[in-house]
Amino acid sequence: MNVNLIINKKEHLLDLKGHETLLEVLREHLSLTGTKTSCQESECGACTVMINGKAVLSCITLAANVEGDDITTIEGLAQGDMLHPVQEAFIDHGSVQCGFCIPGMIMSSVALLEKNQQPTQEEIKYALDGNICRCAGYPKIFEAVSEAGKKMKKK
Amino acid sequence: MALTPKSKFVDQYVDPVGKSVPRIEGRGIVTGQLKYVFDVSFPNMLIGKMLRSPHPHARIISIDTSKAEALTGVKAIITAKDTYQIKFGSNEYFFPHTVDQMAIEADKVRYIGDEIAAVAAIDEETAIKALHLIDVKYEILPGVFDMEEAIKPGAPQIHESLNNIAVILPVNFGNPERVMKEADHVREDKFWCPVAHPSAMEPHVCVGQWETFSNKITLWSSSQAPFKCREALAKTLKMDLNDIRVIKMAVGGGFGGKLEMLPMDFAACLLSKKAGGLPVKICLTREEEFTTTRRKHGMIYKIKTGVKKDGTILAITGEVLADGGAYCSYGPTVLAAAIMRIFMVYKIQHFRMSGYRIYTNNPVSGAMRGFGGVQSGFAIESHMDMIARDLGMDPIEFRLKNITTPNMTTVNKMILTTNGLKECIERAAEASGWRKKRAQMKHLKRGIGIGIAADVMGSKMYKSHESAGAIVKVEEDGSVYFFTGAADTGQGSNTALSQIAAHELGVSYSRIKCRSGDTEITPFDTGSFASRVTFISGNAALLGGRDAKLQILEIVAREHNLNINDLDIKGEKVIFKKDGKSLMTFDRALELCYSFKYGKQIIGRGSYNPKTSPIDFRTGEGNVSGSYGFEAQIAEVEVNTDTGEVNLLELWDAHDIGRAINPQSVESQIEGSLAMGIGYTFYEDLRFKNGRVLNPNFAGYRLPRSIGIPKMNTILIETNDPEGPFGAKGMGEASLLPTSAAIANAIEDAIGVRIKELPITPEKIIEALKALQT
Repeated sequence: MNVNLIINKKEHLLDLKGHETLLEVLREHLSLTGTKTSCQESECGACTVMINGKAVLSCITLAANVEGDDITTIEGLAQGDMLHPVQEAFIDHGSVQCGFCIPGMIMSSVALLEKNQQPTQEEIKYALDGNICRCAGYPKIFEAVSEAGKKMKKK
Repeated sequence: MALTPKSKFVDQYVDPVGKSVPRIEGRGIVTGQLKYVFDVSFPNMLIGKMLRSPHPHARIISIDTSKAEALTGVKAIITAKDTYQIKFGSNEYFFPHTVDQMAIEADKVRYIGDEIAAVAAIDEETAIKALHLIDVKYEILPGVFDMEEAIKPGAPQIHESLNNIAVILPVNFGNPERVMKEADHVREDKFWCPVAHPSAMEPHVCVGQWETFSNKITLWSSSQAPFKCREALAKTLKMDLNDIRVIKMAVGGGFGGKLEMLPMDFAACLLSKKAGGLPVKICLTREEEFTTTRRKHGMIYKIKTGVKKDGTILAITGEVLADGGAYCSYGPTVLAAAIMRIFMVYKIQHFRMSGYRIYTNNPVSGAMRGFGGVQSGFAIESHMDMIARDLGMDPIEFRLKNITTPNMTTVNKMILTTNGLKECIERAAEASGWRKKRAQMKHLKRGIGIGIAADVMGSKMYKSHESAGAIVKVEEDGSVYFFTGAADTGQGSNTALSQIAAHELGVSYSRIKCRSGDTEITPFDTGSFASRVTFISGNAALLGGRDAKLQILEIVAREHNLNINDLDIKGEKVIFKKDGKSLMTFDRALELCYSFKYGKQIIGRGSYNPKTSPIDFRTGEGNVSGSYGFEAQIAEVEVNTDTGEVNLLELWDAHDIGRAINPQSVESQIEGSLAMGIGYTFYEDLRFKNGRVLNPNFAGYRLPRSIGIPKMNTILIETNDPEGPFGAKGMGEASLLPTSAAIANAIEDAIGVRIKELPITPEKIIEALKALQT
């Protein structure tokens, strides 16, 4: 079937099978490999993208169901070499180790901060609880999210 | 046109050792542009899948692949008859008889998941269909799944070894039986340490390509040890080492699970050959990760200690049973580490402990972060706490009485030089408010507990040496290419080693471009394990930086008629050693090197092999590491005695890391270890029934998540090790070792119950409280 997906503000007209997930479409049809495959059963958060401002797991989202929605992936955050404040904060606070969970972690963080730029520690933990980091840089991730919120508020 | 070196390279991180420079891959990670093997794709790439045994123990009668071969889209199928049926293993050097696994098993399967064939097809769907079309006839054999059952006479035999015992390690020093009789108090305990899984976020993945025109193999693999992987491939495929190139790209976590070649690596290469040279990619599913990749050994740890009234340890005896599953992997050395780590921590003269590495029809146990130390850490540190309680001593006082000291040789000949253990304990106690809390929290159901640990910085595990190399190539434009064989699997070694090379060369961090873990391009390195990289590969980086520096200084000295010994490079400048005065900038010195007059290429080289002696496994003796790291950890908990829930309030961790090359990175390694320790304490427990994994997913096997993370306090103790690069030690594992015991000890302090079997669940707490009342 033909499906029109709006990803990072660009339209893509794709010929898809009905069962294809958004994760498969991003990685295999569009080579947007920043969104990561890890558990493929909605448990780890590595595949998180934003759809209409909400953090959504792309591994359990059928691509055909999000036709016309505003989809943002990790590739859509930076403007040229200008990083998004959350991306910058993750580097500055040493929040990245192996990095495999980080795109999903950043998408969940952006979704949180776009609604609430001064989240409490509890609110941050709650928003990120669906994203597993096995290297477990959690404390430095919480720090980065908190700082990025402050920067976003100033802007 | 001459290329002028550019001062744009000069950044705020001049002489970067000791500074929290940003991760070298940072921008790639946060933009999603860093490429992992998972993200790799080639034209005409095939997808490979492994056919696995559904039975825990069976003889293979026949395999018929004809229907699968006839399926459209299937390009290659391999079974054991396509291979040389050569066995591989990881403790070849010390325990040759434990080399016991074939990449594709020929006659027998020994666990659910054992590989017996592999398929490559044009897509995943076709490959999976083909697996279903392969007809395998088995003769089912009785299995054995429990260690204590497996060693009974008459139990089903999994390999040829007697009573399913792959290895017995007897470690004996002094005369513990005699001395135990002189003890004022003797205590004996038995602990259960469950099976945990590394569960890196990036599943195992590889792409193999066998160029049929040249008969050369390239394997892109998510490996912690690309050179080790190459050796195992060469052996099992009967190829020369130089016919195989293993390339490690960004690796999404390893934690021990990616230390070995797996059958999938072998299969991807051989399938590619059979498919006429097309690349073959194999990605494991999360379920395959949990059911078929290496995991932490489940261990029964029995320990008995005799002490004097004043708390002095006189003798220790014990027994360790390790469930190895179907094959040996790194098991024998994991077992050795589980027994011998104690000598780094406590002064012991009389000791007898026997370890048994036992075959069962469970999945294969191997290396996982902590390498036996997590299990022994839980057992020993819980046991020591109970002894202190028996004696009415403060657990810290008890430990201070018995710990190792700087500049001592242990009973098994480990040479401890710098040793910050005492300082670690004291600093953690002070920061946590130990004395006050220990005395005052009794009525609150709150408690505080301590655990201590030590770790090696490397260990000769699979070869006679464990050298690392480095190449530091300084280009005409002022950029510095740093080549290391060390495999960064996410811990940040590319960054830390680059800092070391840049610092020794005397320049800014941003000049460095790091290339790592490619067996054809980078120097040899044994891999990322045993917390060895900062210490061993770091020393190679330092020597490489120094060699490059001396080559530059040689030109400067010649040009200015100076003695090279009077010169140094620091802070981007060539300086006089005696007064630090600047002679010229680094860029100017490079211009000289690459001038019409000299035309000298700067290529520094470094090679380092630690001054150690291998362990003699018949006696347990040997100075296994060039330096040792130490640490103390304190946990504070609050327990709900109605629900059995434990609220972990705060953790303090004081760690002797020698010197922090990158403090931010060191902290995040410690925080990550603590999180993994929290998981092992409260919920990480891979469960089995008749060899089948009951919880092979993140819903059933819970990993630490945001909400379970307490406040973590890290205290870095810098003892400046004389052998470490800029004084640094490795530190990737030690912080994980005492966490479970520190928490269990805090729970006993809070509510008076002792849990000796991990994980500590609310049910166990409630049961123990009930038992306390009766």
